[in-house]
Amino acid sequence: MNRIRNVSIVTIAGLMATVAVPAIAADTITVASWGGTYQEAQTKAFFDPAAAALGITIKQDTTNGLDDVRLQVTGNAVKWDITELGADECARGSKEGLFEKLDYGVIDKSGINPKLVHDDWVGISYTSVVLIYRTDVFGDKGPKTWADFWNVEKFPGRRALSSSQSTETLSVAALASGLPIDKVYPVDIDGALKSVDKIRGHVDAWWTSGAQAMQLVKDGEVDMASIWNGRAGTLKKEGAPVSFSFDQGVLTADCMVIPKGAKNKEAAMKALAMFVSPQLQANLPLYVDNGPVNEKAFETGKIPPERIKDINSAPENVKKQVLQDAEFWRDNLVEATEKFNNLIQQ
Amino acid sequence: MSAQSTLVNDTADATGRDLNARALRADARREELRLLALLSPSLLLVFAIIIVPVGWLFWLSLFDETGALSASNYARFFEQASYVRTFITTFKVAFIVTGACVLLGYPLAYMLSQLPRRAASICLIFVILPFWTSVLVRTYAWLVILQRKGLINSWLIDLGVISQPLPLANNLSGVVIGMTHILLPFLVLPLYASMKTIDTDCLRAGMNLGAGPVATFRQIFFPLSLPGLASGVVIVFVLCLGFFVTPALMGGGKVIMWAMRMEQTTSLYSNWGAGAALGVVLLAVTLALLGLFQWLLGARATGVWSSR
Amino acid sequence: MSIALSALPISMRRIEKRFGSVPVLRDLNLDVEAGEFLTLLGPSGSGKTTLLMILAGFVRANGGSIKVGGDEIIATPPHKRNIGMVFQNYALFPHMNVSHNIAFALKQRRVPARETAERVEKALDMVKLGGLGERRVDQLSGGQRQRVALARAIVFEPRIVLMDEPLSALDKGLREHMQIELRALHRRLGMTTVYVTHDQREAITMSDRIAVMNAGRIEQLDKPETLYAAPKTQFVAGFIGESNFVPVESRNGSVWYEDRKIRTATPAPAAGQHLMVVRPETLRLVANDEPGDSVNVLDATVGDIIYQGDSFVCYVSLRDGRQLTLRDYCRSDVLARMPAPGQPIRLGLDARDTILVAAEG
Repeated sequence: MNRIRNVSIVTIAGLMATVAVPAIAADTITVASWGGTYQEAQTKAFFDPAAAALGITIKQDTTNGLDDVRLQVTGNAVKWDITELGADECARGSKEGLFEKLDYGVIDKSGINPKLVHDDWVGISYTSVVLIYRTDVFGDKGPKTWADFWNVEKFPGRRALSSSQSTETLSVAALASGLPIDKVYPVDIDGALKSVDKIRGHVDAWWTSGAQAMQLVKDGEVDMASIWNGRAGTLKKEGAPVSFSFDQGVLTADCMVIPKGAKNKEAAMKALAMFVSPQLQANLPLYVDNGPVNEKAFETGKIPPERIKDINSAPENVKKQVLQDAEFWRDNLVEATEKFNNLIQQ
Repeated sequence: MSAQSTLVNDTADATGRDLNARALRADARREELRLLALLSPSLLLVFAIIIVPVGWLFWLSLFDETGALSASNYARFFEQASYVRTFITTFKVAFIVTGACVLLGYPLAYMLSQLPRRAASICLIFVILPFWTSVLVRTYAWLVILQRKGLINSWLIDLGVISQPLPLANNLSGVVIGMTHILLPFLVLPLYASMKTIDTDCLRAGMNLGAGPVATFRQIFFPLSLPGLASGVVIVFVLCLGFFVTPALMGGGKVIMWAMRMEQTTSLYSNWGAGAALGVVLLAVTLALLGLFQWLLGARATGVWSSR
Repeated sequence: MSIALSALPISMRRIEKRFGSVPVLRDLNLDVEAGEFLTLLGPSGSGKTTLLMILAGFVRANGGSIKVGGDEIIATPPHKRNIGMVFQNYALFPHMNVSHNIAFALKQRRVPARETAERVEKALDMVKLGGLGERRVDQLSGGQRQRVALARAIVFEPRIVLMDEPLSALDKGLREHMQIELRALHRRLGMTTVYVTHDQREAITMSDRIAVMNAGRIEQLDKPETLYAAPKTQFVAGFIGESNFVPVESRNGSVWYEDRKIRTATPAPAAGQHLMVVRPETLRLVANDEPGDSVNVLDATVGDIIYQGDSFVCYVSLRDGRQLTLRDYCRSDVLARMPAPGQPIRLGLDARDTILVAAEG
């Protein structure tokens, strides 16, 4: 930590004097992600292989999201060279000018959904919001669609939705109102809010973290919930009586950026290029349920065929899901969230 | 001895003035300086960790996302109903929790104050014990106890007392139970301390003068315990206003308190001012409440009881 | 309307009190006459405060009977005993002003407001605090607090007034002044008063009778002058006034100190070892040829002489090395005969002042 800070100070001094960045500083980059099992998986899938291939050291840190980046950039104290964010955060941060431009001469964008390829951010992995239900309550006849989830007569039981992830819940609500997958975007916010209004009286808990969603389902506090597929997969592996599928899932991308003023931009660019390459992307589902963002990963042969159907970003599964539109939410997040909060707090 | 004689010589020429006036004044000044020197670290600390950040917070709250001077961060409270609701919820929870702490804590503190010293110190350890575990751990523990398939509901259903689980967690009651548990020691400790200082002879005097146990408690013990109760209530109430972890985990997203709103707002808006404004409002309201409380207590101590 | 205190007698029988297995009061019997000012005097731990607490009802006895004017009160709760009490530290209610403190007992008895105000006023006047009713308790001096406590204890016209070392927190001058005032108040109101103190001077100054307590028992109950002049035990003789003890033996109907026969005003006690109580002020220097039949003479050597202005104290040693103290006023005739340290002298002790008590273990 101290060494990095010292290096940073030297680097800042160097930049201010418009002297070339010392070569030695480029040997180490710092990457921040969400921590936990996800970051452990990233370490094995991306960081360690990239570091070995490039002959650099990749240090790690954890982030709480866009606030941290904003704090570092506006405070002229950038300590990360690459950081992970949610796609909507990337879109917002891009608008605020918090990131360095990416060099697509270095980064090969083929195989990545164009919606996730931007001047200053690029997708890195996928998470899905899925509908989970307890099989000890419903057997295999549980709610399969969000319309089912909204149908409190046919499927009585306790429900949980996310309040912190308002955009995901609004997408879910739009699906519940009967919209087909390809008609969800652009989201009719008022229509989605109306849909939320119908269910909110039957929601027994609004979760604000993945761990909380998992706990609610695991302890039987609720019988059905929206949940991230990674958490759902963990529950299933632990033997909890639950069932979920990718039908009507809401596919949310994570992205990576180089914060504006990062000290080791060039090395970071090379590392990022490796992270999104099909070979390394194919490593990710070997360790975690978050799917690769580069569809060419599925052609590498690294992923066992029987595993593919369980990966949310496998071509077959992508078709069943709605992709969250980061740029739509960049422009509508504040208004939608305030309205959403007003509604669920009534 | 020699110092004294030099002093006398020193002012011998300054006729018409107090003897050694200059030396005495210098000594007084030295004492003031020494006192100031002793105070300065704490003054600096207060300045650095309270005045500066709070001032900065206030400053930030005056700017919108484009960096222009604006009242939009404050106007938002009136435009969005959820802020007012959060505010009301925060105070409602604070009142209920403080009330629950008083109802549970007063008898507890009273019992402790009546116990022999040894027994009281052992019991006090149990009161303080929860301080040693993290709020997060305790809150999760309550979740395990209170939730639908938690201990209490399982027992009650097994015993046949109820057929449907009671909604104890993921709602207001969960928040109140969790927060009351965490905040109870903050009420009990100052209250116990003040009860310990009540002269037993005053209570005996009350009985001697014809007041039964209830009248003695009501007319003597209770009024004398009020200062301790007041400080406990203020501490608990103010802590309630800023609570985050327990309502976030125990409220099931249905009890949104001010601190939770601050977190939401800070990540929702790209300018710090949005969250800062919430902080400023909470601080202002808290200070106003403290002032009101102080004023009420002051009025009580000097006015109400001494006039007929 | 005035404060009229009924004077009722108290009769305590076979009071027993143990704290755990430690006896504090043992088979204690005591009668206090109606209107009497009786003092419980004793060192700390003698049980005097415990006895007072039992009287007030704050401490529950293990057994015994307390009758006030014929009514048994041993099991009556304190608030129904109708006994006034002045506490050692006054125990004024800090959250009430002077008037409210005094009115407290009247309020409990649902006395109408108008009458309450009059009686409070009266009580304040009685303790010379007229016009201070609105003062807060913490604005009063020690002596004023003492008076408030007193007014509070008598305003409801209790059957008995108890005082637990009420003057011990006052400085010497004020204490002596209050002793006189308390005594005067008692004379005026005539309430039965039980007073606790460890200060023998205070007890002697104020009391009609004094019960000297030691180790949970009453050693002697008498008027102050009797206690002083005729202590019945070594403890009482030692506790009241200053005393030197000289061992004497009673045999064949006479009392002997060494080979000298001791003359006494009373018949010689039973045969055996006794103690002669010698008060410093009863000793005097005598000339060789002076003593008559009624004076006991002791040979001694002069030690230190301490001049105290109005009087002097002379420490002397008997032939067996025993130290005695002699005190006399500085009259010129005495001073003229003042011996020098180391000089042999003769001490005279009038037979009427010669007190004998049993030697205690």
